[in-house]
Amino acid sequence: MDPESTARTGERPLPEWATRFTDNALVGWVVIVGLTVFGFLLFLPGSSGAPPWPAWVFAAIAVAGIALYGTQVYPFFRQLERRLPESQTQWRLLEGKLIGAFEELGAGDLVRSNQQAKALPDRLSRALLAASDALSALATEIQNSSIEVASSADEVNQIASDLASGSSQQAASVVEITAAMEELARTASQIAENATRQAGLAARAEANGDAGALAVDEAVAGVEEVQKRITAISQRADALGTRSKEIYRVLELITEIAQETHILSLNAAIEAVAAGADGRRFSVVAEEVRHLAHRSQESVDSVRGLLDEFSSSIRATIVATEEGMKEAGRVLERSRAASTAITELRLASGDTSRVSQQISLATQQQNAASDEVVMTLREVSLVVQRMTGGLKNLSTTADRLNHLGLTIQLLAQSFHLDSPRSLKNLVEEMAKKLQKAGSAELETQLDELVQGYPFLQMGYFVDTTGYTVALAYNRSVGDGSKIALNLREIDMTKRPWYRSVSREKRSALTPPYDSLFNGEKVFTVASPILGRDGQFLGVVGVDINVTGWTRI
Amino acid sequence: MPEAGAESHRRRGLSAGSHLLVQAGEYVCALPLRSVRRVLRALTVHPLPGATDELKGLAEFGGEPLPVLELARLVNAPAGGKAAYPVTIVVWVGPQDRRELVGLAADAALEVAEVHLHSVVAGDGGFILGEALVDGALVRVVNLEALGGEG
Repeated sequence: MDPESTARTGERPLPEWATRFTDNALVGWVVIVGLTVFGFLLFLPGSSGAPPWPAWVFAAIAVAGIALYGTQVYPFFRQLERRLPESQTQWRLLEGKLIGAFEELGAGDLVRSNQQAKALPDRLSRALLAASDALSALATEIQNSSIEVASSADEVNQIASDLASGSSQQAASVVEITAAMEELARTASQIAENATRQAGLAARAEANGDAGALAVDEAVAGVEEVQKRITAISQRADALGTRSKEIYRVLELITEIAQETHILSLNAAIEAVAAGADGRRFSVVAEEVRHLAHRSQESVDSVRGLLDEFSSSIRATIVATEEGMKEAGRVLERSRAASTAITELRLASGDTSRVSQQISLATQQQNAASDEVVMTLREVSLVVQRMTGGLKNLSTTADRLNHLGLTIQLLAQSFHLDSPRSLKNLVEEMAKKLQKAGSAELETQLDELVQGYPFLQMGYFVDTTGYTVALAYNRSVGDGSKIALNLREIDMTKRPWYRSVSREKRSALTPPYDSLFNGEKVFTVASPILGRDGQFLGVVGVDINVTGWTRI
Repeated sequence: MPEAGAESHRRRGLSAGSHLLVQAGEYVCALPLRSVRRVLRALTVHPLPGATDELKGLAEFGGEPLPVLELARLVNAPAGGKAAYPVTIVVWVGPQDRRELVGLAADAALEVAEVHLHSVVAGDGGFILGEALVDGALVRVVNLEALGGEG
């Protein structure tokens, strides 16, 4: 159909088939009449005689054709011309329904398209319904597949993220283990070195222990000899003590003699006095005797003093020898204990040397094993790092796949299908329920509907003024009371979804955006609520959690 | 037995002023040598019941009983240390016409020394005749006659 010609004439032209049929019939009739007139003239002789019979035949055919046209064709066309406006009216009605159905189909509203198609002629209706059903099936399949893709991609993304995280931790752990093994290897080297050194020291200690044991044995022998000497000294000191006692007795005897002599000299002096002048010479002798006694006494005192010192020295010697004996005994006991300890030390040193050599050998083997482990761990670390990188790429790819699935899902959701997975269908069903509810029950009804679908975050009804008059949020998601208060203050008439729905009177879908509720990705599906007479009453919208929806 | 005393005695010789110096407690007493009969090692003394403190007892001398007096108590001398060689000095006491032998128990017999009577400072009028210095040492001269008179 040419839209320009329609605009010029102001009425719809005949269908092409009718025009072509009329034109062809007229042309056929003219051709037939022309050919008969031409034949008549061809066989008509000038003025010489009667026309030949072919001329009459042609004339008869022409007359018959004219008569046939006048009786059959012309009335048919006249009848056809009378029926043409009715047919045009029916055609225009049919065309309108067909265009409406296709427009609904073009808008993706397959439900309304089917409703429109049911009013078309049977074959056309069946063909359109078949096309709509095929498209619906395709859209449904795309929806299902996109959901599966998005869900699978989300799971893959999650798994890849977990694996990447685990791989990162594993890589870090491998690095830590590598560092620990390197430290262990260094420690093992130090242990081996120390064990070797300790073995040497133990060997030296064993040798020194041999020398020490020999020295201690010699010391023990020396101490035993000293003990014997001290015993001899003690015995001699005892003998000297005994002799000094005898000397004391002799000195006492001499002292007594000196005293007796002294007394005797005094008595001699007394007798000399009694003898008078004759005893004077005798008194001199007595005096000399007394003097001698005195000197004897002094000598005895001197000898006693010396003897006291001598006895004191002997006693000190005896005490010293006794102390020396005790000390020598203690030294001997300690020396024997030292000898025993040195013997045990030698044995322990020998054991230590052997054990240290074994430790050194074991730690050297451990060091070699640690080096191999470190090399293996480095290779593992490289593999894990590569795997981590691959998993991150996989995660990125899965994320892109998830977004692609969501994009396809949103594209598929742009179709209004008679399917439980069609969000437009869902929201329109909700709109129908809300339409039946009174204004007082509107919010309660909306709340029941929102609570029935876990992937719905929020539902709201915006009237023709553009303000939210009823709102419900999913309490399993969280407390949206503050957001609800804010939303009631916002003019929605400038929102694209509201403008689209109010203008087109059909459901609309928004691209994903960040939710004010919890920051997660959501998209809004909005449907009009129409009165019984098709009057626009408002828009019902629901915010759908992308992840929740794909998981559903 | 100081040596200085012996030297002076040897230098001077025996005379009427010769005295026997004895140790009685812490005192050195001078006994007139003419009244001294004998110097003995301490005799065995038999105490007498009811006797005075000065009388130690009776001893045997020359077959006769001899009263023995404690010289230190007689001259009221402070007690000294234990004597190493105590002696008993047999002396004549009392007036010339009634003299008798008495034993004086002393701690030691020291020497014979000259004590000049004119150098004797008067004593208490009792058994100590007076005090004199012998070679710088204070000596108490015993009056044996007074001892005999009281006896």
